Amino acid sequence: MSENNVMVRLEGISKAYGEGEARIQVLKGLDLKVGKGEMLAIVGPSGVGKSTLLHLVGLLDRTDEGLVELDGQDTGTLGGSERARLRNRMLGFVFQHHHLLDELDARDNVALPMRIAGKPASEARRTAEALLDTVGLSSRMTHFPDQLSGGEQQRVAVARALVMRPRLLLADEPTGNLDRAASEGVFRLIRDLHAEENLTSVIVTHNETMAEQCDRIFRLAPAGERSGYVGVS
Amino acid sequence: MRAELHLARRYLIGLGRRTNVATVTLISLVGLGLGVVALVVTLALLEGFQSSIRRDLIERSSHAQVRPVSGRVLAEPDQLASLLHQALPYVEIVRSVRGNCLVASTIDAVPALLVGRSDVDSVMADQVLAARLGIGAAGVVDVISPRRRLTPLGPVPVRVRVDVAEVGVPGPGAEGGVLRVPLEVAQRIVWGSAEVETLDLKDPSAPWQLGAKVRRTLDGRDDVVVLGMDELNQALLLALALERILIFVAVGLILVVAALNLLCNVAMVAAEKRRDLAVLTSLGLEPVRIRRLFLLLGLGIGAAGAFGGAAVGVATAWILDATGALPLPRGVFVVSSVPFSVDPMMVAKVVGLALILSAVASWLPSRVVARREPAAGLRYE
Repeated sequence: MSENNVMVRLEGISKAYGEGEARIQVLKGLDLKVGKGEMLAIVGPSGVGKSTLLHLVGLLDRTDEGLVELDGQDTGTLGGSERARLRNRMLGFVFQHHHLLDELDARDNVALPMRIAGKPASEARRTAEALLDTVGLSSRMTHFPDQLSGGEQQRVAVARALVMRPRLLLADEPTGNLDRAASEGVFRLIRDLHAEENLTSVIVTHNETMAEQCDRIFRLAPAGERSGYVGVS
Repeated sequence: MRAELHLARRYLIGLGRRTNVATVTLISLVGLGLGVVALVVTLALLEGFQSSIRRDLIERSSHAQVRPVSGRVLAEPDQLASLLHQALPYVEIVRSVRGNCLVASTIDAVPALLVGRSDVDSVMADQVLAARLGIGAAGVVDVISPRRRLTPLGPVPVRVRVDVAEVGVPGPGAEGGVLRVPLEVAQRIVWGSAEVETLDLKDPSAPWQLGAKVRRTLDGRDDVVVLGMDELNQALLLALALERILIFVAVGLILVVAALNLLCNVAMVAAEKRRDLAVLTSLGLEPVRIRRLFLLLGLGIGAAGAFGGAAVGVATAWILDATGALPLPRGVFVVSSVPFSVDPMMVAKVVGLALILSAVASWLPSRVVARREPAAGLRYE
């Protein structure tokens, strides 16, 4: 993978939580590269730091040590506001729980990143409607999250993650709360959009079948073992 | 800013769907509203009473006074009066004399203030003096002056017998014990000659500006000094202003308590919305805008309470005043029912204070919220 073709580069990443005896070292000296246009799955047992790793890549948390580079830009020196703007422009997030805002309907939830970016409300709504149509929810635009099924909520979340046309999609167990049929539907949607939008995607998952459909798998090992890439059949 | 406004509006509208936060928010809103109602009604009541005192002051006392710079009598009162009449023909000019005296009836003798005025042609004792002397209208009293005259028996105080034609109410700010007599009578008792101590002037069309107009007219005269309404009633006006400030501060403390309640409410919303805030941050809302969002939330609740409370307060004051719902005992007050007068500027100040307190109350939780790393909110979830 040439340097110009790297979207995410992590070098010597360490992250711990807590103080004193309660301190837990979650990640230590971790290296990771994700190429542009690549779909990477991160797998590993619970509590090994998969979500923490995704949060560090998504600039939602800060490392104790190490380098986080996104598309060649070192993010370590960025302040809170610069990191927020970079997240808005460059990153799309899909969480395990849909994390939609209960007070907004599906269309307003999808349009939210554009409103945050300062786009006019009418343009944001038009784009949101088009995306909701793409994810098969054109009849659910004015429904609030509690009026949608789990699969529909996650589809709205995917649409919201893509509304700003990000370069990097980060998904944390996007199908973890869904039944099998809904899981397959949401994952297929992510995979299709990844290809259509020429995205780079990093997906944290427990689902081995899903991981195997990604371009590569990065196995995060418990402390004492070595994390690294594993092949995809 | 539009995104924060949009979110704050949706949060406030959506509060009804969350029972606990909605209940606390409603309590905050009602608390702030009641504080504003209390402040508006109290200040309207105060303004009502103070307006009636000011009206009475304008009706019954001088609007400006010309006095000698030194000594007690004016050197050329007629010339001064003529000059003022020429320049300000619409102004009523009264010559007057004042002095301390002893007033004696068949029952008692009490000290009193003697006021002689050129516009008075009968004697009037105020209620306090009449009660002390045990006299009513058509009573007879002796006025004894500290001034003495020489008699074959030696120097004796000047004594003049007068018929009291009416008994009146003391003027605003007056403590009582005033005997008002025609100017000539007062001159005889106090001076023994036709001296004039002051020129009292009245202009009902612009009473508070008359002092300045007279000062301009008599500019260059260094033998007289001109006092306007403010100087003539300095103590009374200061007391009224002080009363207004103290009442505002005392009743305004209700708003401070309501604002503390609002602070708890915003902090509770912040705790409940921890996940949402982490999501908003992950979507790119900067910390400063998160802070702004919470300020808007607090201000939204504060504005609803402030404007709602102001509307209820103004309506209450207006109804109480228009219907005379709170009657006052006759003869004790100059008005028949408790007066309420709403000053729009005062209402604006109360609403402004409520909004400022709401902003301050929201500022602290908003700062705490804005400092959080988004991952903490997501981990918490």
